[in-house]
Amino acid sequence: MSAQISLSCDRLERYLGEEEERVHALRGVSLEIETGSVHAVVGPSGCGKSSLLYILGLLDIPDAGRVSIETETVSHLSDDELAQKRNKFIGFIFQFHFLMEDFTAQENVMIPMRKLGELSDAQMRDRAAELLDGVGLGDKLRRPSRHLSGGEQQRVAIARALANDPRVILADEPTGNLDTANSERAFELLQNLVHERGKALLLATHNPAIAEACDWIHEMKDGYIVASHPRGTQRSIS
Amino acid sequence: MTPPLYIALRFLTHRKRALLLSLSGVVFGVAIFICTQAQTQGFSRYFIESNIGSNGALVVRSRFRPRYEPLMVAAKNSKGTTSRRVYFEGITNPNEIMRVSRQFPDVISCSPILRGTVSARAGFENATVDLYGIDPALHAQTTDILRQLIDGNFDDFRNNTSAIIIGSRLAELLQTSVGDTVQLLAPNGEYWRFNVAAIARAGIGSIDSTRIYSHAKIAQALLQQPSGASMIIYKLRDRNRAPVLASRFETLFQHNALSWQEREESTLQLFLTLRMSVAITVSLIILLAGFGIFNVLTMSVLAKIKEIAILRSMGYRRRDISAIFLWQGALIAAAGSVLGCLLGALMTWGVSHIPIRLRGLLYTNYFLVTWDWHHYAFATLLALLAVFIASYVPARRAAELPPVVTIRGSR
Repeated sequence: MSAQISLSCDRLERYLGEEEERVHALRGVSLEIETGSVHAVVGPSGCGKSSLLYILGLLDIPDAGRVSIETETVSHLSDDELAQKRNKFIGFIFQFHFLMEDFTAQENVMIPMRKLGELSDAQMRDRAAELLDGVGLGDKLRRPSRHLSGGEQQRVAIARALANDPRVILADEPTGNLDTANSERAFELLQNLVHERGKALLLATHNPAIAEACDWIHEMKDGYIVASHPRGTQRSIS
Repeated sequence: MTPPLYIALRFLTHRKRALLLSLSGVVFGVAIFICTQAQTQGFSRYFIESNIGSNGALVVRSRFRPRYEPLMVAAKNSKGTTSRRVYFEGITNPNEIMRVSRQFPDVISCSPILRGTVSARAGFENATVDLYGIDPALHAQTTDILRQLIDGNFDDFRNNTSAIIIGSRLAELLQTSVGDTVQLLAPNGEYWRFNVAAIARAGIGSIDSTRIYSHAKIAQALLQQPSGASMIIYKLRDRNRAPVLASRFETLFQHNALSWQEREESTLQLFLTLRMSVAITVSLIILLAGFGIFNVLTMSVLAKIKEIAILRSMGYRRRDISAIFLWQGALIAAAGSVLGCLLGALMTWGVSHIPIRLRGLLYTNYFLVTWDWHHYAFATLLALLAVFIASYVPARRAAELPPVVTIRGSR
């Protein structure tokens, strides 16, 4: 029995910039991410990793090609419908944490839940507290996000990405702004969440240790996926 | 609470200096608008009340008949029927006109007046006065004469045909008081002696400095006029119906009829111009407040670009982002309007206690103000409109920001 596909794309094309500065960022990229698996996209800066992540996260629209969540093609949806899909099915983690400064750690985690509107205020508070406890921040619920350290902020961002129990987590350099200890801790956390809760994780990274710990590695160059292989079958990434 | 409102509240309360700046603009704009309108309309309304209280909301005067000129061709640009009328001074049959006009539901009461100009003398002082011969009972029903008395007694006037009521400034001019004697010069050169029964203050300089009330029959004899009344004044249920009623009375009675609006047109236009001028000035203050909010919200959008991108990545729609900034404007407008209305009321109360000695067109010892909810409603509406326009552009700009560009730019 084949594994269930959480997120896929087929022959994605994306151009960035205008006229002379126009760059062909993605050239016919196809990818399938199964439930319960961790995928890494690696490659040099400007190879198209982030562009791929933003399109798969429905934040950007491809010039050609198709994106599907499970079996549903979503490329043709309106901006409002895409926003709804992002809210329900996708959790984002960015390199620079991107927390809302005027809110506490707990309130940051509650913001996607507020938009979804499926839980009461008390339920949202409880769930946020539970998620923050899960990332080791149970004692810093009411701390303003700007008063948290870089590692703590990234863990809040991870908890927030899980707020609406999404099927897919997309992480753009999630450990790029952290020291080694915090990087390993954040990655372990994500890996456990994926395997324990049956999520799918796609992360873009420059960190070879993290990439080699993923279930699948996709190497990108000049907008192409030049190689895809499961863990342990590839040559060393540098 | 919707998510955009929740976020808007937080954005707003975490930028206290900007909030205070925006709020104070709206508060002062609304308050100054209310206070200035209360003052300008206060003087205008006082004038109207006093004028109607003395001269009635409607007056029927000289009889007329159409001028028949069948062989003459009207001048190309001549207009109106007034130039084609022949007027006869006085009311031909006042009792019949009053009987018929009382049947109109808009008419509360009416009073005939015989009016003439005579010379008055008291001691060594002389003055030309406007003599109003009245029926005391009817005049008391139709005007505010009872309320206008500042000295003496109306009953003393009613019960004594040789008694008069004299305007307050005229009394000062003639140096007379209640109980003194004033002589009025008849056209035949004979002086008639009257007792001052009361002194009245209408509050309008032109009335208080010239008017004397006497009994109608005495005035008729003194003025030697055949007509029993030179005009009839009316008290109406709705003073704003005066122009319509005047037009109907003209047609019905073939007498010239003037509404208070037409009678006092030039003064009312002056007040209206003043109000408009002040309203325009103060509206500019509110617009400036709106411009301040525009700047504050535009800065807020620029400061919150990162947050907007985060919210979009978490599934907030363009309209949610737009709503966050529109809510900020709405909250400023709502709080600013409420506080502005309170401050406006306080300022109006304060202004109404400022001593000012006016003895010209109007008589007053303090600033005159009007308490009218329309001022508060209009100021609030103006503030809401200005703030909405000021918030709309930044809100739209925020909604249009592509999140990917921000996220890429943060790398």
